[in-house]
Amino acid sequence: QMGGQNLRKEHLYKVLVIGDLGVGKTSIIRRYVHQTFSSNYRATIGVDFALKVLNWDSETVRLQLWDIAGQERFGNMTRVYYREAMGAFIVFDVTRPTTFEAVIKWKEDLDSKVMLANGQRIATVLLANKCDQGRELSNNGIKMDQFCKDHGFVGWFETSAKDNLNISDAANFLVKHIMATENDILKSVVPDTISPQMDSSRQMSCSGCFK
Amino acid sequence: MERDVPPEVLRQREVKWLDMLSHWDKWMIKRFNKVRLRCQKGIPPALRGRAWLYLSGGKVKREQNQGKFQELDSQPGDPKWLDVIEKDLHRQFPFHEMFVSRGGHGQQDLFRVLKAYTLYKPDEGYCQAQAPIAAVLLMHMPAEDAFWGLVQICEKYLPGYYSPGLEAIQLDGEILFALLRRVSPVAFRHLEKHKIDPILYMTEWFMCAFSRTLPWASVLRVWDMFLCDGVKIIFRVGLVLLKCTLGTREKLKNCQGLYETMELLRAIDPRYMQEGFLVREVRAEDTEVPPQCKITRDNFITSGGR
Repeated sequence: QMGGQNLRKEHLYKVLVIGDLGVGKTSIIRRYVHQTFSSNYRATIGVDFALKVLNWDSETVRLQLWDIAGQERFGNMTRVYYREAMGAFIVFDVTRPTTFEAVIKWKEDLDSKVMLANGQRIATVLLANKCDQGRELSNNGIKMDQFCKDHGFVGWFETSAKDNLNISDAANFLVKHIMATENDILKSVVPDTISPQMDSSRQMSCSGCFK
Repeated sequence: MERDVPPEVLRQREVKWLDMLSHWDKWMIKRFNKVRLRCQKGIPPALRGRAWLYLSGGKVKREQNQGKFQELDSQPGDPKWLDVIEKDLHRQFPFHEMFVSRGGHGQQDLFRVLKAYTLYKPDEGYCQAQAPIAAVLLMHMPAEDAFWGLVQICEKYLPGYYSPGLEAIQLDGEILFALLRRVSPVAFRHLEKHKIDPILYMTEWFMCAFSRTLPWASVLRVWDMFLCDGVKIIFRVGLVLLKCTLGTREKLKNCQGLYETMELLRAIDPRYMQEGFLVREVRAEDTEVPPQCKITRDNFITSGGR
């Protein structure tokens, strides 16, 4: 019993938060991690970090959230920021169409610079932020679903950092996908690297050991 | 701010600075070491704005380009940049009284200075890290002077830092890391072992000249030295902070990883950032930033980066 807590399984995931400048990346993270909102967050220069700890069934999930500067010229540094990420949020501002147009560019940048151990793209969720400011996307739901399918997003959410809408739902959704891909990798790595013949011979020698 | 300086000492310093400012060229040519020493001791707050403008060469630049700022100021500017600048106006020192109100004088002047720069250097446009630099200048001088101060910092002090490719800052990151090997082998090995790329921790430090990192009194003292001696002061401050934070095995015990290290570097112990301590350490830190830096950097940029 005493050692029970130490045995609790821990997952550590690096999650990127990217998107054009001023779409609310920092606000989303602050809301999610610190339960606060301000319209006066400083512009992010380079990269910023926050940690969110989740109790996930009987396990613990530690999410390292990497808040990445949105201005285009910082794109020259993204390779370093993206390294070893397991998942990502790409954020746009529903009140500014250009930030939505940039979503594809961010996704391409992401997919070209980071991938999982099995060569797959990292799980990415699209966030339509500032939904408190009027523009409803709900009517466009089908379009958005199709957009996600076409561009390799695992899903999308309308969010508001201001009104605390959907942010933890989106995070839970992403974590679920990360965990699923993690399991896939664990399963896939073994048969990919060891041929069936090798496998059987190993088993032979193994059972030999037991004899 | 700078409470430690007794009033009579401050008075004496003001007299000395007034004398220097009224015979500036002579002092800069003949007694630069004395000017430097006085910058290291801290410029009296009442004269800081003027002193910065003189030290940076912004004053000369302004005189050589009379009417230029007004000309740029009267132009509309490229909407592409205006859009970005406007988004940043309320995000600079949001708790400073000058910048607290939307559309207030501070934010208006910040807009004018940043917009003027995009017209002055259309190829470079606007980089978000320029806003805090301009804001610090505006806290000490009127818009036109702040503009020329910004021009000098972007062109002479930190050339290439804000240009679209951001190569210069990445190169200076590598140089900082190379210098750290000598200054603090323990810190160096730790960062190397955990593959912590310099741009993860030094981008904001260097691009904003520590204005968003240090307590305010220290920002002012660092800028006093930076505008006198140039980028090597920024390197030295960076080296001191790295050495103090990661320089012994004891300190590294609780930060076994990239993320833990980054957390430590983002919340540096206030002791190490206190102005008296920091200035002493920076003065003692005589690591010479190699003179070939700039040449290397120029080569680096013309060759198109790594």
